[in-house]
Amino acid sequence: MADRGHLVPSRPARPRPAPALAPPTSAPRNRSLVTIVRAVGRSGALVPLLLSAGLFAVLVLAPVVAIVARVLLTGDLLAVLGRPVVIAALRLSLLTTTLSLGLTLLLGTPVAYLLARYRFPGRTLLDSLIDLPIVLPPAVAGLGLLMAFGRRGLFGPALEALGLTLSFTTAAVVVAQTFVAAPFYVRAARAAFLAVDQELERVAHTLGVSAWATFWRVTVPVALPGLVSGALMSWARALGEFGATIMVAGSFPGRTQTMPLAIYAALESDLEAALALAALLVLVSLGLLGGLRRVTGPLGERADA
Amino acid sequence: MLEVQVTRHFPGFRLAVAFTTTARRTALLGPSGAGKSLTLRVIAGLLRPDQGRIVVEGQVLCDTAQGLDLPPQARRVGYVPQHYALFPHLDVLGNIGFGLPVRSPAVRRQIADLLDLLGLAGLERRFPRQLSGGQQQRVALARALARRPRLLLLDEPLSALDAPTRRELREALGDLLRRLDLPTLIVTHDLADALALADHLVVLDAGQVLQSGPAPDVLAHPAHVRVAQIVGIRNLLPGWVEAHDETGTTVRVGQRRLRARPPTGQAPPVGSPVSVCLRSDRIRLQPAETTAEEANTAFGRVVDERWEGTTVALRLRLADARLRPEAAYDLEVEILGATYEALRPRDRALWAVQIPATALHLLPAADATPAAVKNA
Repeated sequence: MADRGHLVPSRPARPRPAPALAPPTSAPRNRSLVTIVRAVGRSGALVPLLLSAGLFAVLVLAPVVAIVARVLLTGDLLAVLGRPVVIAALRLSLLTTTLSLGLTLLLGTPVAYLLARYRFPGRTLLDSLIDLPIVLPPAVAGLGLLMAFGRRGLFGPALEALGLTLSFTTAAVVVAQTFVAAPFYVRAARAAFLAVDQELERVAHTLGVSAWATFWRVTVPVALPGLVSGALMSWARALGEFGATIMVAGSFPGRTQTMPLAIYAALESDLEAALALAALLVLVSLGLLGGLRRVTGPLGERADA
Repeated sequence: MLEVQVTRHFPGFRLAVAFTTTARRTALLGPSGAGKSLTLRVIAGLLRPDQGRIVVEGQVLCDTAQGLDLPPQARRVGYVPQHYALFPHLDVLGNIGFGLPVRSPAVRRQIADLLDLLGLAGLERRFPRQLSGGQQQRVALARALARRPRLLLLDEPLSALDAPTRRELREALGDLLRRLDLPTLIVTHDLADALALADHLVVLDAGQVLQSGPAPDVLAHPAHVRVAQIVGIRNLLPGWVEAHDETGTTVRVGQRRLRARPPTGQAPPVGSPVSVCLRSDRIRLQPAETTAEEANTAFGRVVDERWEGTTVALRLRLADARLRPEAAYDLEVEILGATYEALRPRDRALWAVQIPATALHLLPAADATPAAVKNA
């Protein structure tokens, strides 16, 4: 944690020299919104721009509005939410996302700190690999997890010897969620740790406070907004996890059927339940957006700063 | 007494600093990138030296030959970094009491005393972002003092402040440091700060100590041309030693002979190239017609003038024998603003310039300076 380990402490990155080939005119010009709107208005581009912005808004909002409207118009939300299948999905989602968030914090925080504070061989590789689950198609992630930890997977026999089976258990749901969602946290936590002035930690050391205590009493509190927003993002991703979960864990009510899986399962048989669950998830998502804004300002503005 | 001798390699930079000071307050003076802050960090134990020995008032903090290198937690060194690094999530009390058992009545009393001493009473519950620059500085000092350090390290204590506050706080900080009477090492790139806050100067450049000594000595007798530049000597004239006699030394500078009186035993040998150092505030200016020509008197006209706050820097071009024949001016003379108003140097064509023989300081010529300077 401290500056004194055998790992080489990272120093603030120096600005890289501009690539020699970049034409000098390519620098983005800073223009205020007002000037842009004026320029756009004068050039006659305002109408098409507003049109595409409107279409985009419709595309994003229509599904949400449709769900909310449908629920409000037809169903008795509370009654539907009381159905056993819905309750089971809700409870399972709450349980698994809590566990996967805990696992993410436990495993992701040291990795994020390591990436932010130290230089070591393989650092760039690790830094890139962190993002792999974000770009990997969920179905591929699910298949990969099955091949690694499934009964006939790479580590299956070893796990079996320990009396552990992962496939089609609640544990598999947690593993799938963690795999898919952890990068969102690690990314944000790494940026948050990077933004903590190392001079604060140094001062704490000279004040007689150990590296471990400094981490908890200085680094974490100062990085907290970034850590919280990362945790929220990662939790949201875990809550919505579908593809990888259905591959590794299947869709067994009460055991592996989380809310998104329950929505899919109920689509044919019980549209009301599907809609109620969906409405609940919409509500949670909107709440998350509000929470993120409170913690960091406009979404993502701080996370990568 | 503070004894520091440390080396540490970085990619592209080598820190090899050694100095000893018996003064209470010592300034580490040098341009940015000289290694001043790194030196401070090594002394605080935040950066491990490849090799070194650090002794404060008889207490050995680090001696690599003995395998001793105390961690920063055990050094009892008060560290006030540039921009103060106050903990943003803690209020003034939280900052000052950080790392202390704040529940103990003795500690509480001590913190209350510190608040009084530094004029922070009433600000206990403020957060750093709610404090002025001067208040932040005092909180950082209080935090460093709360552990009763054996050595206080200040990194550019005034650079975070704007100019008017800076001048005021320079005095206040100087007074405070004198009252604390604690061994203190102050890093600065600003000569005025160094002189206001410290009695001993250690001039650092390119990772090496160029000169260490009482401030007046370093100002009057810089050891190298680079030191002369760092301590703000404006006139550095190339010349060579022509002769020695019982009353002093004759140096040839440009088309002119100047008389110098170097301290005994310090005169460079006859024939050796020298840089003649001349502080711009030691040159006297008089109306030409009232001055009889004698040794080290020249006549010239003002070719340029610029206001520098309370003084005016005049550039003079000598009328006949020039000191720097190839340059636009020969000498830079600094006079007080009030003197400037009285003399009105612009109104007169010719001025007599008198240079006291004792004001001339002879240095080995620029290309005979240590390797560290040339690499800079």
